[in-house]
Amino acid sequence: MNALQSLSAACSAILPRLLEHLGYTLASVSIGFLLGLVLGILLTRTPKLSRYILPVLSVLNTIPGIVFIGVLFLYLGRRSATVLIALSVYAMFPVLKNTFTGLNEVDAQYKEAARGCGMDHFQRLVLVELPLAMPTIIGGLRIATVYTVSWTVVASMIGLGGLGDFIYKGVSSNNNALILQGAIPAALLAFVLGTLVDILQRHVVPRGLRKGRDEE
Amino acid sequence: MSYGSQTILHDLNFEIKEGQFAVFIGPSGCGKTTTLKMINRLIQPDSGHIYLDGKDISSVDRYELRRHTGYVIQQIGLFPNMTVAQNICVVPKLLKYPKEKNEQTVRDMLAMVDMPYEKYAHKYPSELSGGQQQRIGILRALAASPPVVLMDEPFSALDPMTRRSLQLEVKSLQQRLNKTIVFVTHDMEEALDLADVIVFMDKGRIVQMAPPEEMLEHPATEQVREFLGKHLPAPSPADMTAADFMRTGIITVNQNRGIYECVSRMQHHNVDTLLVVDEQKRYQGTVSIADIRLTGHVVKTIGPLVRCTTPTVTVGDNAKDCFDLLISSGFPYLVVLNGDQTVAGIITKTSMASAMAEHLWG
Repeated sequence: MNALQSLSAACSAILPRLLEHLGYTLASVSIGFLLGLVLGILLTRTPKLSRYILPVLSVLNTIPGIVFIGVLFLYLGRRSATVLIALSVYAMFPVLKNTFTGLNEVDAQYKEAARGCGMDHFQRLVLVELPLAMPTIIGGLRIATVYTVSWTVVASMIGLGGLGDFIYKGVSSNNNALILQGAIPAALLAFVLGTLVDILQRHVVPRGLRKGRDEE
Repeated sequence: MSYGSQTILHDLNFEIKEGQFAVFIGPSGCGKTTTLKMINRLIQPDSGHIYLDGKDISSVDRYELRRHTGYVIQQIGLFPNMTVAQNICVVPKLLKYPKEKNEQTVRDMLAMVDMPYEKYAHKYPSELSGGQQQRIGILRALAASPPVVLMDEPFSALDPMTRRSLQLEVKSLQQRLNKTIVFVTHDMEEALDLADVIVFMDKGRIVQMAPPEEMLEHPATEQVREFLGKHLPAPSPADMTAADFMRTGIITVNQNRGIYECVSRMQHHNVDTLLVVDEQKRYQGTVSIADIRLTGHVVKTIGPLVRCTTPTVTVGDNAKDCFDLLISSGFPYLVVLNGDQTVAGIITKTSMASAMAEHLWG
C-alpha cells in the first residue's frame, strides 16, 4: 500500500512538471521551427549574404545553452520569456540549417522545369522547392524537438519548473530517486515527441518521394 | 548575347514560320540551347529583339510568356511530388483554367500517347520508365495548348528504341496539332527525320538554315558536311575518282638507299616491290626483289635498278578509266600520284573490288 501510495504521490508530483516541460518544448519548437523555416528560405534567396551568415550562426550554435540562458537571465530576469527565447533560438538552428540545405539540394532539373512552366518565385517555392525539401526540413524539426526536451531541463536552473526541477533538487540533495523522477519522464517525452515527428514526416512528405511505398 | 567577356551569340537573325518544325543543331557550345532559352526568356539577350506572333516578347510578362510556350528539357524534370495528372495540369492550373476542363485535358492528353488514364493518371513519375516520363514531359508542355513548343535535347537521355518511337510521336503530334516546334539536338539523324527546317549553328552564328533535303544536297561548309556524314547521298559511280578506289599507306624507299636496307624493308612489310621516290618524295619508279636478286651484287644503291614501266594515274582521274587501264595493261597495280608527283596510293584489283562493294552495300 505504501509503495502504491508513494507511486501515485510521485505521479501527481510529476504530472504538473511534465506538462510545464511539454509546454515549454512545444512552444519553443513551434517558434523555432517558424523562425528557422523563414530564415532558411530567406538565406537561400541571398546566396552571397548566406556565405557570411551561416558560419556566424554555426558559431553561435556552439555556445552552450547554459551560458546563453544565463546571459539572457541577466537581461530579462526570471521570466518564462527568458526560457522561451533561449529554447526557441536553439530549436531554430537545426531547422534553419536543414531548410537551407534541403532547398539548395533540390535538383536543378526541377527548378529549371518550374521556371520553364512559368511559375513565379513564390509558386516555385511553394509548389516545387518546399515539397521536395520537406524530408530534410522535417529531419531538422526532429532534431530540434528531441534536443529541446533535454534543453528544457536547463529551464529549471532559473527556477521556472519543468522536469529539470527534480533533477536539480535530486543532484543537490544527493537523492537518486528524485533524479530518476525527472530523468525517466524526460527521456520518455523525447521518445514520444520524436515518434510524433516521424508520423508527421510520413504525412507531409509527398507520396511520390516516399521510399519503399506500397504499390497501389 | 554574351557571358562576361565571352560573346555566345553574334547577330543572330532568323525567322521560324508558324507550324514549322525547326531543329537547331551544331557542335556543343555553339549557342543552340542559349538561342532556345531566349525564346521563353529564361535567358535575356544583351541586345536585339525576339518577336513571337509579331509581338516583341520583352514586352510580355515573362511568366505569362512561359505559360504560353511549351518547354521540354533533356532531364525531363517531372515534379516528383506530383502525380502524372498533376504534372500535366501544372500550366493550366497556373493559368487558372477551370478544374473540369483540366480533368478533361489530362484524359485527352494521355489518350494521345496511348497511356490509359485509369492506369497512369495517379502514378508518380518514379513509377514510370524513362520513355513514359518524357511522354508526360511533352504532355505537360502541350497541356495549355501553347502555339510554340521549345524542346531542348528531349530525347538524348533515352535508349535508341524509345527515342525512335518518341520522335515519331512528336512528329505526328506536331502535325496533328499544328504546333511550331523549336527543337535542339546534336543528333543529325534526329534533325533530318524531324525537321522542316534545320538551323546549323557554330560559335554563336548560323552557318546554314535550310530544309533537310537542301542541306543534304548543298552543305554550306565542310563542317556541315561532316555533321551530315553518312547521311550524305553517295556520289554517283560516274563521278568517282581514283582517290575513292586506291589503297593508301604505301611503303616507299628513297632512290639513294642501299640494297640491304631495301631488302630488309621488303621483308619487314612482306612485299616484293617498293615504290621509289627522290629527295622531294616524288615518284621515280619501282624496284622489285627479282631485280635485286639478279643484279643486286653489282650495285650499291637501288637507283640503277628502278623501273618505271608501271602505269601511273593521278588522284583526280576517273575511276572507270583507271579500272580499264588496270585490266588492259596487265600490271597487278596502278600507282596513283598527287598533283605534285608524290605517291598517293596504289590501285589493285582488291582495292577496287572492296571500294565497289562498299559503294554498293555501304
